Amino acid sequence: MLKRKYLPHYLMVAPFMVLFTVFFLYPIVSGFFYSFHKWNAAQPAVFIGLDNYRTILGSRDFEKAMWNLATYIVITVPLGIGTAFGLAVLVDSFTGRWAAFFRSVFFLPVVLPAFLAATIWRWIYTPNFGLLNMIFGWFGLPSVNFLNDTGVMLYSLIAVDVWVSAGFNMVIILAGLKNIPQELYEAARLDGATRFQQLIHVTIPMMSPVLFFVLTYGLISALQVFDVPWLLTGSSFSNYGGRRGALLFPVMDMMGRGFGGVKFGEAAAYGFLLTIVIMTVTAGMFTIRAWRERK
Amino acid sequence: MTDIAATPRTGIEVWSILRWVLAILATIIAVLPIWWMINVVFSVPGEPVVINPRLWPTSLSSGLGKIHMILTETEYLRAYVVSLLYALLTIAGVTLIGSMAAFEFALFDFPGRRLLFSLVMLSLMVPVAVTIIPTYLLTAELGWLNTMQGLVVPGLSSAFGLFLLVQFMRSIPRDMIEAARLDGASHFDIYWHIVLPLSRNALITLAILTFMKTWGNYMWPLIVAPRPEMYTVGQVVGLFNSPYSHQTVDVVMTANLLAAVPPLIFFLIFQRKIVEGIAMSGSKG
Repeated sequence: MLKRKYLPHYLMVAPFMVLFTVFFLYPIVSGFFYSFHKWNAAQPAVFIGLDNYRTILGSRDFEKAMWNLATYIVITVPLGIGTAFGLAVLVDSFTGRWAAFFRSVFFLPVVLPAFLAATIWRWIYTPNFGLLNMIFGWFGLPSVNFLNDTGVMLYSLIAVDVWVSAGFNMVIILAGLKNIPQELYEAARLDGATRFQQLIHVTIPMMSPVLFFVLTYGLISALQVFDVPWLLTGSSFSNYGGRRGALLFPVMDMMGRGFGGVKFGEAAAYGFLLTIVIMTVTAGMFTIRAWRERK
Repeated sequence: MTDIAATPRTGIEVWSILRWVLAILATIIAVLPIWWMINVVFSVPGEPVVINPRLWPTSLSSGLGKIHMILTETEYLRAYVVSLLYALLTIAGVTLIGSMAAFEFALFDFPGRRLLFSLVMLSLMVPVAVTIIPTYLLTAELGWLNTMQGLVVPGLSSAFGLFLLVQFMRSIPRDMIEAARLDGASHFDIYWHIVLPLSRNALITLAILTFMKTWGNYMWPLIVAPRPEMYTVGQVVGLFNSPYSHQTVDVVMTANLLAAVPPLIFFLIFQRKIVEGIAMSGSKG
């Protein structure tokens, strides 16, 4: 009788839960299984224990990709959020039509698919006659090989990345700014706080939950960066990562091993290694927050 | 005395000028790449950049000619249809399946509700990187490579969509549901005739965000639909831009511009909904 009563509820959640189980839970389990096997999808899988993990951890590509990732994240996440915060404060300082106008314009790059941002910037970065090098030329600066000079490539990627993502974070931060009670600013002003002091002592502390979200979300997506470096370097499964692997990142490395090298077991293991990294970072973020709140 | 009195005033004046300078500068940086793309399309091909740096459009007919050429002489139009179908079917599935589940999770109680909902919410923490290869292998086993269902179905159980809809539906007053029940409405009637119309705003927001995500999805179609007949716009744009495509910059930019048109139109129409949707997912996450 009990089952009868609840049947309509289960029927309604069934389509979602079935798809969720088949296309989300099952792949995680099967991926875990494959990660201990040598498998090319044509022959039967052969159990090889931890060999896939060992191969990856010992490979130079993995080391290169992780090193690139670390450098990339340390720069792009703070720079991206800082830019977004600046843009939000800027938009917030205007009212009415101008505020709406600047908000839309700064959001515009987010509207484009990330693959387009990469393909447009690839041409803007062209040596000699590319738009950016031409503008450099007007100021008497030498031409830069943005996508082929291994010392510059990472920064070229970061610039595109900030261009793409700043508007997204700006919108979230802006919504947070609107929620700060005006009385706090009035009280600070009565105490003689300058605009800058108000920013440091009122805005930023009040914004910490929003900044926490933006930072965590930004870190998780930066750890999985793929589209933009893949297209900026004109990568394919047989050749990816750009000159001397200067723009090789873990997800690219994983996809290359899976679809270029047809080593699906190794690719699955790579996915789990990445997940451990991402989960550790996320857990670290939450621990820091819990620790700060207790203080 | 005068100094002390003057400092705050100049501070305010400096800021009121500075903010305009910064805002205009940021506007130029945000818009210039897109503006440049448009100008490359609408200019005479082969005109040296030294004479015309493509900072303004010079030839409307030349641009229209290139658009016509790409749509008729390449496989672009087919990719457009594939991408649109991919986006529309995903939107239909995500909103329907998601709203059915959200309806239950938000408004009713049944054994296992909390467990199932926490399981789905927990999945928001799992990175795509770990599921993409096994999901591809499963799709291949099902024989769904290079098919529309292979593109669409694995993406239908959107945890983010469920979260967004549950958040919204929680605010629907239970009295309305009880009143309908007393009037003899069935469980499905309540979902279809009361909760769905009330959730219109959330559904539209989810549909728009799903469109942007599907239209911009590069990685999934790249691996699951590698045959030219099933190329999406993202893949075709990638090919136009690849180092071996031997296309001139103005043709490539025409391909890029065409890919940008649907999301730009969406943005112009639904701007407020898009911005609110993102702000909402941020403030409640």
